[in-house]
Amino acid sequence: MALLPDLPKGGFVFENFQRNEFLKAKGFRAPKATKTGTTIVGCLVKDGVILGADTRATSGSVIADKYSDKIHYMAKNIYCCGAGTAADTLYVTRMVSSNLELHRLNTNRVVPVICALRMLKQHLFRYQGYVSAALVLAGVDEDGAHLYSVTPHGSSDKLPFTTMGSGSLAAMAVFETRWKPNMTIEEGKKLVRDSVAAGIFNDLGSGNNIDMCIITRDGVDYMRPYEEANLKGQRLNSYVFDKGATPILTVHTIPLEVEEVMVRHMDETMDTSA
Amino acid sequence: MDVSFDRNQSSFDFNTVEACDNVTPEWLEPDSTGTTIMAVEFADGVVIGADSRATRGFYVSNRVSDKVNHVSDHIYCCRSGSAADTQAILDTIRYHLSFYEMELGEPALVKVAANLFKEMCYTYRDQLTAGIIVAGWDKRYGGQVYSIPLGGMMVRQSAIAGGSGGTYIYGYIDKFYKPRMTREECIKFVIEGISLAMERDASSGGVIRVAIIDKEGVEKKIIAGGDLPKFHEK
Amino acid sequence: MSIMNYNGGVVIAMKGKDCVAIATDTRLGVRSLTLTTDFPKVFQMGPTLFLGLPGLATDTMTVYQRLRFRLNMYELRENKRVRPQVFTSMVSNLLYERRFGPYFVEPVVAGLDKDGTPYIASMDLIGSYQEPEDICVAGTCSEQAYGMAEALWEKDMDADKLFEAISQSLMNACDRDAISGQGAIVHIVEKNKITTKTLKMRMD
Repeated sequence: MALLPDLPKGGFVFENFQRNEFLKAKGFRAPKATKTGTTIVGCLVKDGVILGADTRATSGSVIADKYSDKIHYMAKNIYCCGAGTAADTLYVTRMVSSNLELHRLNTNRVVPVICALRMLKQHLFRYQGYVSAALVLAGVDEDGAHLYSVTPHGSSDKLPFTTMGSGSLAAMAVFETRWKPNMTIEEGKKLVRDSVAAGIFNDLGSGNNIDMCIITRDGVDYMRPYEEANLKGQRLNSYVFDKGATPILTVHTIPLEVEEVMVRHMDETMDTSA
Repeated sequence: MDVSFDRNQSSFDFNTVEACDNVTPEWLEPDSTGTTIMAVEFADGVVIGADSRATRGFYVSNRVSDKVNHVSDHIYCCRSGSAADTQAILDTIRYHLSFYEMELGEPALVKVAANLFKEMCYTYRDQLTAGIIVAGWDKRYGGQVYSIPLGGMMVRQSAIAGGSGGTYIYGYIDKFYKPRMTREECIKFVIEGISLAMERDASSGGVIRVAIIDKEGVEKKIIAGGDLPKFHEK
Repeated sequence: MSIMNYNGGVVIAMKGKDCVAIATDTRLGVRSLTLTTDFPKVFQMGPTLFLGLPGLATDTMTVYQRLRFRLNMYELRENKRVRPQVFTSMVSNLLYERRFGPYFVEPVVAGLDKDGTPYIASMDLIGSYQEPEDICVAGTCSEQAYGMAEALWEKDMDADKLFEAISQSLMNACDRDAISGQGAIVHIVEKNKITTKTLKMRMD
């Protein structure tokens, strides 16, 4: 082994795998990763497409994050909702997002939504469902608005409305009763809100706020939060302790000195044309 | 007293604890096209058809899915089994076949496409769950139907049913199939077959999609749920 | 039993007004056997940046050393201090690389940005992170600590009030966890100074 460890080359590292399997065989359960739980939905409307999501992330029965961001940026014209293991949804969208940007710079055109779909499903298929990300992909390109759902195993569906996550059944019930073709954006917003709200109030894995993202030819309207469906209970008194409430053994103070002050004036923006 | 949590000494059954942890929620299960698919040769071409239900456990994850897919201009296929596997296979074969046709400068034979499917299904037979029907028309052999079931075998037959619903209609096929049907007879034969399976098989349903492929090209049809033949009312 | 409960320990971080605090217990044990009461799980990674690594102690040390290496390389290459947000990304990337054979740690990052903005973040063992506006909690008594911190935290606390809130959260959470406690260290990071206090608490 070299004295100087290597910097990461990219790709997954399996150095701990054998140790962890050994620990598992000894009866130590592997800890739970954060799951999104999640209700995520997508809906085509007349002039674009709307994505909706709740904001709860759970690990076991603990709410790990009350305001988690589940509508991920893919490209200027493409966004993607993620459900499943939180880290997987984050990294799969982030990796594809950077590849889409490279593709855009190479081809000098608006990246088509199908391109994002291909990259996502090929990555997920390669990992045979072990990268646990269920996605709702939406975007607008030269051919209009598109909406896809992608499963962790790498299959995809093209649909006018779709839901994913543990709250998907509740949300789908709302879509199935009220969806109609060619809705206006306002009608679509109402339907997406009600659909995510159905997930939030009927599924225990989903909760807190509603986020929404509207993608049209004119641009993106990302509303976070669109609605605070659940507010924290108001506290009428204060629990704040006075100074000295906690017994202290030692105190050690390090003053921070200014290391250096450097002011650089940038007159021009960076040249990225090449 | 030993109070360690060694799984062999403990009176608790930790296997059940682990088993409970390993339950996959239904929405993370793989999508499967638990399906009815069918393809039949007639005098001048082929009719290929499928239902439109995709399931995840017992949840209908897509009620309007398209399982009759374009492979090349005169070749279509029907997918059954794992949605992810069959979509990945289809994407790969479409890619290879389009190159092949560009190099050849003419449409590929149906059996070439079918062989590509077979090659992949057979090579990866341990890792794939895919039952595929390939059907199409070429000027050398006319309309043809090939079946590539689970292990990656390839066989040409004049009438085939597949997927979970296929078993329900083999009797129907054996009784009512006749060689060299007319186009209209054949369409009716396929639609009736698939509707019979859709009524019995819980994993099949929705609408029927058919493609009729002959010398002239491809005609795709959708038979909506309300327009299906109703056998139970007879 | 989960491997996360093998050595014990807890870390809490809180945001205040122009300050952040991060607190850790100092116990290291093997299940119920205490080995030492001098094993803090919080490390200083920059002038105003701290990292807490509760979890399996062997991984606490390995992850710390790997991050220290990556951080040194970053600072040499870029010739600047790392921003807390960037550091969180570094930690997250290190963990997600090992998605299929993870380190058993749940890191907590706390620090002040260059302009003095408070920043805290926490993540799970494979690098999914959140950057909340109030509190971050991780470790064996995280459920108890969540309850305490959620109740005691208020918006815009000054350094003294923040210290009391985080100390009380940590001490009372540790009192209901057999494998956390036995000493605690609290760092309060302000724009012009860092105050490190050790707490007097139960040693049983």
